[in-house]
Amino acid sequence: MSQSELTIAAGHEVVMEASPYGIEKKKLGMWVFIVSDACTFGAFLFAYGYMRIGAPVWGTPFEFSSILNGMIMTAVLLSSSLTMLAAVRAAQAGERASVSKWMGATMLLGAVFAALHLREWFNLIGEGWRLFANPTGGPAQFGATFFSVTGLHLTHVVTGVIALGFVARGYNQGRYDQSHIETAGLYWHFVDLVWMFVFPLMYLMNAH
Amino acid sequence: MSSNRELTMSSYVGIGVGLMLIVCFEVILTYQHMAPRTLLFALLCLACLEAYVGVMYLMHVRYERPILFWTIFPATLFVLGFLCYLFPDAFRMLNMRLMK
Repeated sequence: MSQSELTIAAGHEVVMEASPYGIEKKKLGMWVFIVSDACTFGAFLFAYGYMRIGAPVWGTPFEFSSILNGMIMTAVLLSSSLTMLAAVRAAQAGERASVSKWMGATMLLGAVFAALHLREWFNLIGEGWRLFANPTGGPAQFGATFFSVTGLHLTHVVTGVIALGFVARGYNQGRYDQSHIETAGLYWHFVDLVWMFVFPLMYLMNAH
Repeated sequence: MSSNRELTMSSYVGIGVGLMLIVCFEVILTYQHMAPRTLLFALLCLACLEAYVGVMYLMHVRYERPILFWTIFPATLFVLGFLCYLFPDAFRMLNMRLMK
């Protein structure tokens, strides 16, 4: 019986009602967090879109090699979502060793994504792009928006990798159950879906 | 919206391949010399399609009770839409000056 459907009866008196959502409270809490984070990213991306369209001059530094790197990053993150799905299914089947394997694969792919992203950052910084500097002499809006939005996403990826490590370790030690894996999976899929907006808006809109 | 029959792992791989194909289509659109406003609209539409597929299948909302979807998503879309309405107003207010 899941926690959400559990009702506690004291004598003949029911003291807790079942959740109307049919999910555990930790999962509902994660959904509420995802909504708030989606609004945060939405605000950043909408502000970026407004400036991108309204600015008469805008830096477009990405050659096709950067776009290709972005596509590889997208494939890596999508693959990590699939490995996370496999971890959730293994947890539901009670296959503890498989869960560790798939969570490890997800963390590895997340780390690869972060490394590719940092490589892209260092390339741009090497060309002279900064948070408040434009090497071509124009306005610095590209640098400001690119580094802040992608930096926020990268922070989510890195903290997600660390959190997945803690959840995997807890599951292995028996402190956590399959609902914890599912809840962590929700966060990871959200990070992937945010990238589906960040890549076209930040990379493709600024392709040279 | 809820269903007892979840997809197999190979179906999820197919969904991942489909999402990657949408990304490839976005890259092709980028090099079609469209106006920035048109390109932004097209990319946003495709990104929303990807997000819908991801939310429904990867995040398993398709297999949850409908009340979860109807509680969370209309409110989120309302807030995001309201950002579109309010943000340009911020620029208008920046240009307002008090009479001396």
